[in-house]
Amino acid sequence: MLLKRFNRTQRLSHLFLMLTFLIQSGTGFGRLFITTDFGRSLCKIFGGYEAAIVIHFWVGILMMTGFTVHIVYLIKRIKRRDLVNSVMGPDSLVPGPQDAQHLFQRILWTMGMGSPPKLDRWAYWEKFDYWAVFWGLPLLAVTGVMLKFPLLTTQVLPGWTLNIAALLHRAEAILAASFIFIVHFFIGHIRPLSFPMNEAMFSGSVHLEEAMQEKPLWVERLKQEGKLEMMKAERPALWYRALYFVFGYSALGFGLYILINGIVYGRFIQLH
Amino acid sequence: MKGAMAVIRLAYHWGAFGFLIGAAVFLTIPSVPSWAQEEVTSKIYRYRERVATGYYEGYEVSPRRARAILETPGIRRDRFSIGASAAAVRIRTHLPDSHRGLKFYYRTTCIECHPGQARNLHSMRAGITCRQCHGPEPIAAINHYYSAMNTIRRHAYVCSKCHEGATASFSGFYVHEPPSTALSTRESFPLLFYTSWGMLVLLLGTLAFFVPHSFMVGFRELLDKTKAPESSVGKLANSVSHRIMGGIRKLFEKKKVPENEVDDAA
Repeated sequence: MLLKRFNRTQRLSHLFLMLTFLIQSGTGFGRLFITTDFGRSLCKIFGGYEAAIVIHFWVGILMMTGFTVHIVYLIKRIKRRDLVNSVMGPDSLVPGPQDAQHLFQRILWTMGMGSPPKLDRWAYWEKFDYWAVFWGLPLLAVTGVMLKFPLLTTQVLPGWTLNIAALLHRAEAILAASFIFIVHFFIGHIRPLSFPMNEAMFSGSVHLEEAMQEKPLWVERLKQEGKLEMMKAERPALWYRALYFVFGYSALGFGLYILINGIVYGRFIQLH
Repeated sequence: MKGAMAVIRLAYHWGAFGFLIGAAVFLTIPSVPSWAQEEVTSKIYRYRERVATGYYEGYEVSPRRARAILETPGIRRDRFSIGASAAAVRIRTHLPDSHRGLKFYYRTTCIECHPGQARNLHSMRAGITCRQCHGPEPIAAINHYYSAMNTIRRHAYVCSKCHEGATASFSGFYVHEPPSTALSTRESFPLLFYTSWGMLVLLLGTLAFFVPHSFMVGFRELLDKTKAPESSVGKLANSVSHRIMGGIRKLFEKKKVPENEVDDAA
């Protein structure tokens, strides 16, 4: 039996973020590494050094539009009558004290001590993934706009803030890209429970046995509330599965291409 | 009525055609006439062009108070600070010719004495050379009153050559940015130093926690023979990993058995 996990809006948001993030890392790291062969070949995909910044800026605007839409979506999802439960409850991504406990218990479990923690709908690493992007996006947007319009910025702020903005923009980009291309890809693809690919974000559903194993509290809660039958999902069509497998692996390949070359060529660029 | 429409349509088509031809002809005319470009041969004329008159000009500004790099007149911030009398000889930031009296000056290049100064975004990305900003000989010291590089008019004489509309605040950008993680930067540009170390600690901390943690979770799941249901690739991978992990498990079990026997015997 398949259990519904992500609705269509959430899956579309993830797809949108995936595409824009990959374009931003392609154009951004292409320009950062422009003095090396890797950077030049990466920039060539997007039409060269000058075209890459135009794409980078407009895709950034698109990303921030998506972020605004997401904020509106969040505000709409909050139930005002049941404010505490909808913000701090188990269906929310807001971290709570139980997450620290789960983390501690899971670390012990990896070392062979005790049992794995009984997780609810969102695990602590999924919450971390979400909030990392959530604070990274506005930071990149603000510093990016500062660097795009230096004359306007320096009318308000002193000129040396541009040095800080450039540093922050690069450092946050490296942080985000390395986290996604190493940790997020490992959890989504290589981890035995999700190998060869965690399909939940594309098909929108997970297997009930899988959910019972990793998130027993969530399934129990659904059973108690009598929502389990409601959450039953259809099996995705074969053509659709083939499509998202190809797409997912293309994204994985592109990310690893940037990651590996970034590590290899990292010593040829300077970060200041 | 039909005839009138046909006439209007014909006139429109010919008008559009004529406009396109006209636009094509117009574009072939050079937009900037050649007499607008001046040819400068006089060295003196060039030098005068980039040195201030000494009179107060409309674009000149008083130096800003808030600056990131702290400068104390007469004291050089280096490994060894020097006294006032030595500073008068060695500190050249106020001379009309900052390289005056240097031996073999004309046989050296800029980066021989200023190593690492060419490693900045202006030269690395835009290919700008030292002299495109600092000017030809004599290179006036940065704080000399008539210098083009003086902060009161740097934006007008240097920055706005490329950055149209540059202001004094804009020229406060550090082109020769100090290495952001170096300890000396803590004194010269503290905010840059703390920002860069903060981000570095965040990056290394995140990866140092999540990379080993995720890998250990993955390894533990392999040991537990977790199933990836219904996926044929997953089944294949599981059967392979099952055999490998079964072998590892046996190794551990073999070790444990004799210990129990010993315990029983005791």
